[in-house]
Amino acid sequence: MRRLFLIALIAGCAAAQLPAQLLQLRITGLDGLAAKAKESTDITLDSNLLKMAGGFLAGADKDGKDGDTIKQLLSGLKAITVRSFEFNEPGQYRIEDLEQIRAQLRTPGWSKIISSQNKNEISEIYTRMEQGKVAGFAIINAEPKELTVVAIEGTINLNDLSKLKALGVPSIPVPEKKGKQE
Amino acid sequence: MNLEEELRTALRREDPSPGFAGRVSARAQSSARPARVFPRMVWAMALAALLVIGFSAAYEYRQMQAERAGRDAVIALRIAADKLNIARERVVRREMPASTREN
Repeated sequence: MRRLFLIALIAGCAAAQLPAQLLQLRITGLDGLAAKAKESTDITLDSNLLKMAGGFLAGADKDGKDGDTIKQLLSGLKAITVRSFEFNEPGQYRIEDLEQIRAQLRTPGWSKIISSQNKNEISEIYTRMEQGKVAGFAIINAEPKELTVVAIEGTINLNDLSKLKALGVPSIPVPEKKGKQE
Repeated sequence: MNLEEELRTALRREDPSPGFAGRVSARAQSSARPARVFPRMVWAMALAALLVIGFSAAYEYRQMQAERAGRDAVIALRIAADKLNIARERVVRREMPASTREN
């Protein structure tokens, strides 16, 4: 009886873990693009590295006000993956290259919260909610000469994230939208 | 005494004095002892030095890894923030009336 209870407990824990693992976004299908790109960024940080990063940033507060926001954002995260490519000329990638990623984002659990598409540019933001909190977050940004995919696992406040200054670009003030939930 | 006689006397077999073997073995033992102590100290010092170097290298490696992870995390979050703001701005622009968009 006790053994049965233990087996049931282990099976229950495994079942609880399984959906979260299945819902984790894997950035695939972009492997060949780095060779064509003028510049590429490939960052993968798991929970251990994020913990180390948090510890390092806590010790070295060089970023001032932004540093606090970064530390706060990192504390809730489990993984970050960034693939970004900058090309010399348009046409170096196809929108179909994103299909493997977009297929994962069409599965239940993920929902598209922002989508902007014209003939040259695509901006999509997806979130995965767990118990009323953002548990996963993905960005696809495709421009003629630039392609960026970001996948973040963990709880994150998108308003705090949007306040971070971008690399060399001042953050864009965005008016509060009524009825838009993030 | 002729030369032959002198040589025979000089090269004559002689037994060692009493206690010769004991003295030789005692001297051998007394000279061997410090030679054994010295390598032990050297080994201990080498081991200690190796441990210190090993721990320092591991600590340095972890520091470097943490520094790199910190830098990568900042870059990743800034890229995410940048793209999030671009997407929001595009949506806001699209939903703005044409008259206000020109401003």
